[in-house]
Amino acid sequence: MAPLSVRTRLTVWHAAVLLLIVCLFAAASLLFVRARLYAELDAQLTRELSIIERVYREQPYELADLPGDRGFLFFQIAEKQTPRHESDGWRQMGFQRAPNGASTGAPASWAAADGTWFRVQSLAQPGYRIAAAVDETALRHIVSTLGIILLLGIPFAVGLAIAGGYFLAGRVLAPVGAMADKARRISAESLGERLAVPNPGDEFGRLAAAFNETLARVEQAFDQLRRFTADASHELRTPLTAMRSVGEVALQSERQPRQYRDVIGSMLEEVDRLTNLADSLLTLTRADSGKIELKPQAVDLGELAAAAADQLRVLAEDRHQTLALDANGRIQAWADPELLRLALTNLVHNAIKYTPPGGAIQLRVRSSPDAATIEVCDTGPGIPVGARELIFERFYRLHAARSSAGAGLGLAIARWAVTANNGRIAVESGSAGGSVFRIVLPQRTT
Amino acid sequence: MGRWSLYCASVKILVIEDERKVAEALREGLEAERYDVRVAASGEEGFYLANQQSFDVVLLDLMLPRRDGLDVLSTLRKRGIQTPVLILTAKDTVEDRVHGLDSGADDYLVKPFAFSEVLARIRALLRRGRAESVATLRCDDLEIDLLAHKAARGGRSLELTPKEFDVLEYLARHRDRAVSREMLARDVWQVTARATPLDNVIDVTIARLRRKVDEPFERKLVHTVRGVGFLLGLANGAA
Repeated sequence: MAPLSVRTRLTVWHAAVLLLIVCLFAAASLLFVRARLYAELDAQLTRELSIIERVYREQPYELADLPGDRGFLFFQIAEKQTPRHESDGWRQMGFQRAPNGASTGAPASWAAADGTWFRVQSLAQPGYRIAAAVDETALRHIVSTLGIILLLGIPFAVGLAIAGGYFLAGRVLAPVGAMADKARRISAESLGERLAVPNPGDEFGRLAAAFNETLARVEQAFDQLRRFTADASHELRTPLTAMRSVGEVALQSERQPRQYRDVIGSMLEEVDRLTNLADSLLTLTRADSGKIELKPQAVDLGELAAAAADQLRVLAEDRHQTLALDANGRIQAWADPELLRLALTNLVHNAIKYTPPGGAIQLRVRSSPDAATIEVCDTGPGIPVGARELIFERFYRLHAARSSAGAGLGLAIARWAVTANNGRIAVESGSAGGSVFRIVLPQRTT
Repeated sequence: MGRWSLYCASVKILVIEDERKVAEALREGLEAERYDVRVAASGEEGFYLANQQSFDVVLLDLMLPRRDGLDVLSTLRKRGIQTPVLILTAKDTVEDRVHGLDSGADDYLVKPFAFSEVLARIRALLRRGRAESVATLRCDDLEIDLLAHKAARGGRSLELTPKEFDVLEYLARHRDRAVSREMLARDVWQVTARATPLDNVIDVTIARLRRKVDEPFERKLVHTVRGVGFLLGLANGAA
């Protein structure tokens, strides 16, 4: 069976609970009314008995007139098991067989031979005993009528409840349907659309708001992806253009083998650029999809910094820069060493690239009670305040003209590599000019 | 070409690669090295050839029409064919690598590869099992003492940094053959993350090495093969 709609389920629950309540209520009122009516009838019977007793003791000759005066009244007066006086019809109706016709006790209901119900009670006194019966047909009629009314009324009430509940549930749930329709129409091309939030305070308002927030995040991710793809294809065009023009120009006229070699070599250089770009893009794409598995371990930051400095020292020397390491003590962080090395190498490489010849680059490793930091300080031109966030964006280049300096992915990769290790990366101005790139990592916790 | 040409004359290589240009380039390049090359353009054809004839090395692409490269490989291994297999593929994650080697590959090279590296890997596969215990590498009047970690040219000792020595040794081991920057990065600098900015470091190191090895001498030994990499040898410009 297909699962029922929320609307149907709400209605069914609603009706079921109502049915239970109405049934309990009806049964209780029926029993209550019945008990009250019997109590009244029994009181009447008791009154009749005392009247009969008084008449019997004071004016026994009037006993014969009693039934006529008091409507339908049957009674019997017996002295020592011998009936002394019986009203007309006592015997015809067969009251001597009634439970209280002979003995004494609480009032009881009894059906005569013709089907008429009577309430029978007897009063035993020393020397005599009085039994009386009153017709309870009217009472039974009232009770059964009430029962029928209730029986007919319950389905009607429940039917009304179902109809009303269904209508109400429909009204309450209508915003959900509207939201679903709207959400269904939103596609990659119309991510800018949002659900209407008619009442931000209620449950549906919050649902719509939450959905809108999700949409906003998806839209942002999509925008980023679009920009990334556009930037990437733009970056791809540069080496492709170079290859194409170099190749086409070479084919324009006959050349010496040596020149052909040169052309092919030049094209292969562009292939290298493309390969590097593809590698960087792939690294970032994998980082985005979380496909790179981290192998965190205790990393000695001093050693790491020394390794990075050693690796890149020749570059600094080539540019007559000094590359100094300032690390004292054993400072450990909990991180993936490969990724951290990648981040640090990128930062140092960047510092060497942008610091003018003769400048100084310093790697500082520091620790505080809860964090370990590596700083890469340079004496380069520094980075304007407005660009300090942007430089970590993919393809962002501070100096647009320096296109040969790489694709602008190094810092983006560095930032990813640090944040993947639960660290932070930021840049600020050095005290003596230049920039300070700072990697902050959680201290090693064992 | 020296000792290799004699040795390679009878070496048979099967190239299973569906991309026509790549397959043709490999064939031409390998034939220029005097290898005997057969090319199969599909997994089926490659499997058939590898079954029918015996090869010394198989170069296997993974994404092939009709029959996946890994499938071809594991079926060959199941049949007891132990020819060394070098996988050439664009899939470069660690899992892909492990999966490839688990399926019975002997080596794994990621596209776009440098042809010089393909040659180096093939030579390594052919050499396998044969211990090569050389204490001294020579190239013209350059002498590299692997045990003492010292290099000398024309009897004059060269003052090399450890890294420069490693590069020189690596170049000498691939004498007369071009070595790509990628090979140096991976094998000398031990850097596996390809996004690491090492190209400049390699260029500068080579430049310094050249100053020490070549500058004082008439005959130049360290050559740049433009767009390819570097080469140690007398022949100028030969890749």
